[in-house]
Amino acid sequence: MLKAHIVKKRREMTVDVSLELKRGDALGLFGASGAGKSTVLACIAGIEDADGGFAEVGDVQLFPPSLPLHRRRLGYLTQEPGLFPHLTVGENVRFGVPKEIAADGEQNQWIETLRDRLHLGPLWSAPASLISGGQARRVSLARMLARKPPLVLLDEPFAGLDRQLVRELIDDLIFWNQTMGFSMIAVDHQVEVLKRLCPQQAIVLERGKIVQQGTWDELYSAPATPLLRSLLAPI
Amino acid sequence: MKMDRRWIARVAATLFAVALLYPFTALFAHIGPWQWGEDIRGPAMSSMRVSLLLTSYSMLIIVAIGTPVATYIAHCKMRERLLWQAVLLIPILLPPLALGILLSLAFGPYGAVGGWLEHFGIEMTNSATAFVSTQVYVGMGYYVLGAVAAFDAVPQMLQKQAALLGLTPWKVFLRVTLPLSRLGLAVALSIAWVRAFGEFGAVVITAYYPSGMPVQLWVNLQSFGLPAVMPLLMVFLAVALPLPWLVHVLAQRRHA
Repeated sequence: MLKAHIVKKRREMTVDVSLELKRGDALGLFGASGAGKSTVLACIAGIEDADGGFAEVGDVQLFPPSLPLHRRRLGYLTQEPGLFPHLTVGENVRFGVPKEIAADGEQNQWIETLRDRLHLGPLWSAPASLISGGQARRVSLARMLARKPPLVLLDEPFAGLDRQLVRELIDDLIFWNQTMGFSMIAVDHQVEVLKRLCPQQAIVLERGKIVQQGTWDELYSAPATPLLRSLLAPI
Repeated sequence: MKMDRRWIARVAATLFAVALLYPFTALFAHIGPWQWGEDIRGPAMSSMRVSLLLTSYSMLIIVAIGTPVATYIAHCKMRERLLWQAVLLIPILLPPLALGILLSLAFGPYGAVGGWLEHFGIEMTNSATAFVSTQVYVGMGYYVLGAVAAFDAVPQMLQKQAALLGLTPWKVFLRVTLPLSRLGLAVALSIAWVRAFGEFGAVVITAYYPSGMPVQLWVNLQSFGLPAVMPLLMVFLAVALPLPWLVHVLAQRRHA
């Protein structure tokens, strides 16, 4: 479903990572700060231009040549919810739904499902600039899912949230992943978060390169590097 | 002790504000009865119509040309952006009289463009076209630099996020960039308005006729003296200042 080889030169290293993901798969990208995890996601999303390699989702070539962002059809969540402050919560959620299908009954039903599942009903008419950080993450999740993207990229979207909310959001994402069948790549510093979100497989990066990939059990039982051993060890 | 220092600062700031506004006390100066007879009123009202109408046209042109230019500059890399900003600063930094002389020579009958325009019957001296084009030259740099700053204030990530949600660049501009920068754009436009509306030095060279308010103020001063200037000055202040002032205050309140 996703095939990618990302090459991106940084001042201190070159990120060089190959990925392959099937439909519905959830892949965790793990590693220390500055290992190049976010760079991989940013290049796939098109937020940054890769210096080499390729990426394709299904039969859509993301690069090269670089496909414009609006044609990439993927969801991208970061630490910053990125809500549009001049719009209400409801307008934010509907933002990416094209006008020609916004009036469609099935689409409306889908938006209502997202609204109810993510507890956004009471906030629906509130200005997005006035809601809390936790609420904003839920809105940005709903906004991303409203377009039913086939691929979802999560760059530490739970950073700074309390554990209860993180648990809820992860459960929601797993639920949608299973019901909608989108593929998912998640980046997080917290191994517990990644293990829960992407229980089947993980890739470990160090200085821009893959040092190990496999199931979490494999990583725990035989970590490939001392740094990974240290990162997996309990605090 | 801490309170005292705050009060001293407040008093000093108030004195500063009083000094800044002190010139307005001249409106109450004893200069004899103000003159507002027909010979003063007629040209004064005519100059007000000229200024309001032609400055409005100038603003439309400034917005129509300046907004896309500002959008382009806002997306430029730093080196190219500095180059553009340097170019925009030139008409701003030129003494108005010098700008007027350059414009009248470049667009006059002996200039390349002026001669060509005259061929089509477009007069570039002492005409409404000359008045508007001079104002456009005077105000454009202020508007574009202000608009670039307004666009810069919209987080890049929000615009990218909107694109990732399926919006074309044009729709991102209309639905995200423009609404989030509208106050900054209004401030930029209000500065361009004040600057163009009040322009005397350049306009008096290129478009003595049709006389706008600044030129008429000067004519009244020369021909009739201060008592004939004051009523027109009041009208000038009432027309030129409130809207831009309000826009600035609203912009500050929004950022507060």
